[in-house]
Amino acid sequence: MHITPDSIILFQLGPVSLNATILFTWCIMALMTVGSWLVTRKLSSATRLSRWQNLLEVLVTGIRDEIREISGQDPGRYLSFVGTLFLFIAVSNLLSIIPGYNPPTGSLSTTAALAVCVFIAVPIYGITQKGLSYFKQYTKPSVLMLPFNIIGEISRTIALAMRLFGNIMSGTIIAAILLSITPLIFPVIMQAFGLLIGLIQAYIFAILAMVYIAAGARVRQNKSGRVVESSSS
Amino acid sequence: MLIDWFTVIAQIINFLVLVYLLKRFLYGPIIKAMDKRQEKIALRLEGARKKKQEAEQEAELFLQKNREFDTRHEEMLSQIKKEAEARRVELIKEARSQVDADMARWYGAIQKEKETFLQDIRRRTVGHTCAIARRAIKELSNEDLENRITSIFIERLQNIDSNEREALVQAIKHSMEGIRVNSSFEIPGESAKEIVRLLQNLTTDPIAVRFEILPELICGIELKLHGRKISWNIADYLESFEESMRAAIEAKGIKET
Repeated sequence: MHITPDSIILFQLGPVSLNATILFTWCIMALMTVGSWLVTRKLSSATRLSRWQNLLEVLVTGIRDEIREISGQDPGRYLSFVGTLFLFIAVSNLLSIIPGYNPPTGSLSTTAALAVCVFIAVPIYGITQKGLSYFKQYTKPSVLMLPFNIIGEISRTIALAMRLFGNIMSGTIIAAILLSITPLIFPVIMQAFGLLIGLIQAYIFAILAMVYIAAGARVRQNKSGRVVESSSS
Repeated sequence: MLIDWFTVIAQIINFLVLVYLLKRFLYGPIIKAMDKRQEKIALRLEGARKKKQEAEQEAELFLQKNREFDTRHEEMLSQIKKEAEARRVELIKEARSQVDADMARWYGAIQKEKETFLQDIRRRTVGHTCAIARRAIKELSNEDLENRITSIFIERLQNIDSNEREALVQAIKHSMEGIRVNSSFEIPGESAKEIVRLLQNLTTDPIAVRFEILPELICGIELKLHGRKISWNIADYLESFEESMRAAIEAKGIKET
């Protein structure tokens, strides 16, 4: 029994090792890319559209609406990043229904990688939006708060990674344990719960990422007098 | 150690690649298709709005035209009615006047014919009456009557007033062909002499009196000279009767018309 799929090494060449996390990630990537390509190669701009196109449009529209609601801005620039976070985590979690599959999100390395991406994306979006004055918000309300703000930034990133990892990993482990205790019916219910939890986690991760990014990029609205929460962790 | 840093880096790279791939194959095309559709819908909505506006305008135009047409129709109808009524009245008037004129003409013609017919009847009546009278008198006349007529003539000759006498004298003077006494019968010799004597008394110049018998006098004697005439005869009475009758009939006819 592996706590993390990182420990399932398929191929090793010096420090470079191909583990199950990377392999399944590639599978997910391939699946999503090919699926998208298959649907989007013959898109219709008419009022009649295929089921798959309809599904993708509903997904993309839903994500865009969510981003617009949270950031209060045009979702265009955030869509690729936040949308991919949600879709990747969601697909990765939902595929756990397949026997023999180990979700890459059950690996702390993956969730850490995603959290690091968010950690880096927040200042990048902030700087793009507000310039270098973005860094001033770390000294607010007082310069004394600078270390605390930095610690807060790091801790919320770690929390992001740990939350997702903990939920998915625990789900997988619970399913495995239950399977050995009560092999009938009960693991199926837990598996179904696992799917729900996986989807909720994907949503939470993407929403939090968006909240962090939006909080870092909200200087203009603040100046124009709108009341906005600075952050939520 | 739960975190494998190589895996972390690999996953970061994987994630970034996935971001790119999804942007390239998912978000881009989907958003483009949706925008396109939205644009198309907007265009169609705009087109529909324009068409609706045009249709509304046209409908308004048609309504306007309909209203105008109705108004004109009403106006024309009322005008035509008025004209027709006026024409009807005029025609009736014309027809009436025509009928009246025709009736008047007919009545006139009938009246005229009636009159002519009546006149004719009257004339014939008078003519016949006179003819009967003439015939009766002619048949009734005898010597006594002739003597009586002659004596009346002589009496009239004796009793002429001075003006008449003067005129008679003048007439005798100017008479070239002499004095002519016409009678319907032969005047007895005594009476003829008396007549000649009375005439001779009127003038100093010798006179020639010629006695002639004229059956058309019916029954009577007349003295004719240079436009003057002294007479007593039935023919004169009948003539004057006929004249007066005719005058009376004419007068009556005129009065009636």
